[in-house]
Amino acid sequence: MGFINFLVYLAIMMGIFAILSVSLNLQYGFTGLANFGQVAFFCLGAYATTIVTLTFNMSFFLGLIAAMFLAGLFGYIIAIPTADLREDYWAIVTLAAGEIVRIFFLNEDWVVGGGPYRGGAYGVGDIPQPFRSHFSAQTYPFFYLGIVLACLLVTYLIVNRLTKSPFGRVLKSIREGDDNLAQAMGKDVKKFRIKTMAIGGIFGGLAGCLYAHYYGFISPQEFVPLETFIVWAMVIVGGEGNNKGAILGSVIIILFYNSTRYLKDYIPINETTLASLRMVAIGVLIVVVMLFMKEGLIKEKKRIY
Amino acid sequence: MTVIQVIINSIIRASELTLLSLGLTIVYDILKFANFAHTEFAVVGAYLAFFLSVTLGLPMIPAAIIAAIATGFLSIAIDRAVFKKMRNSNGIIIMVTSMGVAIALRNTVRAIWGADARSYVLPLQSPLVTQWFRITSLQIWIIIVGAVAMILFHLLLHYTTLGKAMRASSDNPELAQASGIATEKIVTYVWFIAITFASLGGTLIGMETFLLPYMGFAIIIPVFCATIMGGIGNPYGAMLGALVLGFAENFGLYINFGKVFNLGGLLPFSRDMFIPTGYKPAIAFVMLIIVLLIRPRGILGKKKEG
Amino acid sequence: MALAGVSFRVDQGSITGLIGPNGSGKSTCFNIISGFYTKDRGEIYFQGEKIENIEPFRLARMGIGRTFQIAAVTEKMTVLENLLLAPKTQTGEGVFNVFFRAAKIRRQEKENYEKALEILNLVQLYDLRNEYAGNLSGGQKKLLSLGRILLSDPLFILLDEPTAGVNPTLIKDLIAAVKRLRDEEGKTILLVEHNMKVISEICDKVVVLDFGRKIAEGTPKEIQNNEKVLEAYLSGSSKHESIHENS
Repeated sequence: MGFINFLVYLAIMMGIFAILSVSLNLQYGFTGLANFGQVAFFCLGAYATTIVTLTFNMSFFLGLIAAMFLAGLFGYIIAIPTADLREDYWAIVTLAAGEIVRIFFLNEDWVVGGGPYRGGAYGVGDIPQPFRSHFSAQTYPFFYLGIVLACLLVTYLIVNRLTKSPFGRVLKSIREGDDNLAQAMGKDVKKFRIKTMAIGGIFGGLAGCLYAHYYGFISPQEFVPLETFIVWAMVIVGGEGNNKGAILGSVIIILFYNSTRYLKDYIPINETTLASLRMVAIGVLIVVVMLFMKEGLIKEKKRIY
Repeated sequence: MTVIQVIINSIIRASELTLLSLGLTIVYDILKFANFAHTEFAVVGAYLAFFLSVTLGLPMIPAAIIAAIATGFLSIAIDRAVFKKMRNSNGIIIMVTSMGVAIALRNTVRAIWGADARSYVLPLQSPLVTQWFRITSLQIWIIIVGAVAMILFHLLLHYTTLGKAMRASSDNPELAQASGIATEKIVTYVWFIAITFASLGGTLIGMETFLLPYMGFAIIIPVFCATIMGGIGNPYGAMLGALVLGFAENFGLYINFGKVFNLGGLLPFSRDMFIPTGYKPAIAFVMLIIVLLIRPRGILGKKKEG
Repeated sequence: MALAGVSFRVDQGSITGLIGPNGSGKSTCFNIISGFYTKDRGEIYFQGEKIENIEPFRLARMGIGRTFQIAAVTEKMTVLENLLLAPKTQTGEGVFNVFFRAAKIRRQEKENYEKALEILNLVQLYDLRNEYAGNLSGGQKKLLSLGRILLSDPLFILLDEPTAGVNPTLIKDLIAAVKRLRDEEGKTILLVEHNMKVISEICDKVVVLDFGRKIAEGTPKEIQNNEKVLEAYLSGSSKHESIHENS
């Protein structure tokens, strides 16, 4: 890959994961919802847009909307029976929910149209790229980066607005684990949690859609819980409870993750081993940050009126 | 496949799960957090046993035992390095940290031994075959080890000082600490016991199937499910939960729901409906959700105040 | 402490005290009335309507406000932010409204902000308004709790040990504020207190609990001379409290 192309690739990844990160930050950083199944939104968004644009041949915009809708709906549905669960149980439930989504797509190949070597564990390829025909092979990545950044901007603006509003204020009052105050002040805590999960889902789905159209190929293998925890690493490193931090976290982790990509050209190390070591590094990073820097790089700003 | 075979499979599965859920529940109870790295320790133990038996040539049983002990010590080391500093931290923070540990452990195994499946070198199994069921000697061993583990644990809990201290810490941590029961020492023992059991569990699963770096993750949801169903902090609950889940998984796949829906032939609805084997983890998940919604403290769990 | 056979009436526009030795069930009582505990038996009537299994936040919306024994504040929000949670119908708490009713929300925020500043002055927390609530002392958190009660304008107020941990010089202001709630705003108040001076000064009526039962009811003067009450305080669960203590 040419160097410029590699940078564009990095930027697109940072953008997509920043959206995921902002979404998770809304759930965990602002509302205290420890979603261990964030990847489910990502996965649903990716598959939804694939089904709409590939199987049914409809436009990218419809795919985008389908992705956001399906993921948001999933967030909403999962939250309804579980919103009042203790935080650790809730983490376990969301972890399991994420896995169920992945298993579903692993087993049900008909969802993406079936056919030989398609769907299920084989994954789905040939996902159409929006407006591809208008651009050359060299310029298209830049255009796509533009789409990603535009989506990120919209995501940031919406989530930021929400968190700075009275709605966000209530979220912050819920996040410390003790609902008493919020209840005593007449706030329907459960409803706020459900809404947050739906919104988190919508943006998670958006990221999934962008991911699917960029890679052109998706498979259940890519939507494993590790993805959720990479996003967690981003939220923690960047600083929970602030949206800029989430974006910064995404930049840092993606850089970190990709920095060793070319290492194998210089060090005689096997590709799988390198990939594994990168994961080990992510795991260690999470531990280290939690131990020494759990506020993250950008601390949450105090709200002064 | 006969019902008896399904029952046997359920018991085997329950036995494997018990070895894992027992450890998870005591760590959850005494250390007050959900250890997402628990099943990864099981994997580490299984691979260590592989190293000792296949690479170094030790016989399987000593290999498994030494691996379990080594992994137990590893967990104590990790506790000292990581979790000890977080004794008073918020639950989510420790959980996420344990996930970090899990990712690190899992991928270290993968880095060392690769992503391909590995197998122990075991003597050829000549199964016991009757017209109703089939069972290998390994599977019988699994059941025995599981049962022995349960008995040993029970004896530990009720006939030793450590056991008494553990029960005291479990029922009333503040009082236990105030009355001078050295809680850090108990923590050390709890990790050791929990992880040696888990390691054995992992080894047995590896012997029955094969070793894959991500096998810990494959089993984490069923283990959590068994633990929570039984009631966190209650070792008998963990055993019960494992049993219930073992049966639920195996019967869940065995039952022809088509026959259930047409009420055994009464209704003119004839379709075979089975839960696809690919959805086996979903059974644990669904059971977990149901338990958490109806009785979050689990079957044998303690009632929390307020 | 489980309650058995506690029955009393709180008259509108009055201040009723709820006292009793530690563990007598006062907090349980509060929690049941405000919906945080569910009751097994018995009936609660609020403004003539029976309350059955209603969630705490709904009761709060119906006009039942309460403070907590350990003052509930959101630690990682400023004092002012905590206070701004109090007004009950905030348009800005709806997701769509945040984007489509921005002007109305801005107006409401301004109004609430000004009211909040007034109240902060009242409870003497004005200078700490931009401080994280988690950094306040216990007594200051109590004042913040009182502040949010004032701002949320409930009909029926449950105060759980409002003076415990509060600086003695502030207690006077606190008492004055509570009295004003009854006298000028016609609020109905039920308070749990261990400070007998406070009880005798502001309560119209006092209800005494012991071991989950009501053992006496009457004016502060009557209660102070009630034998059963004296006995409850001198024996059993608490040997250290005295009904006549000037604390």
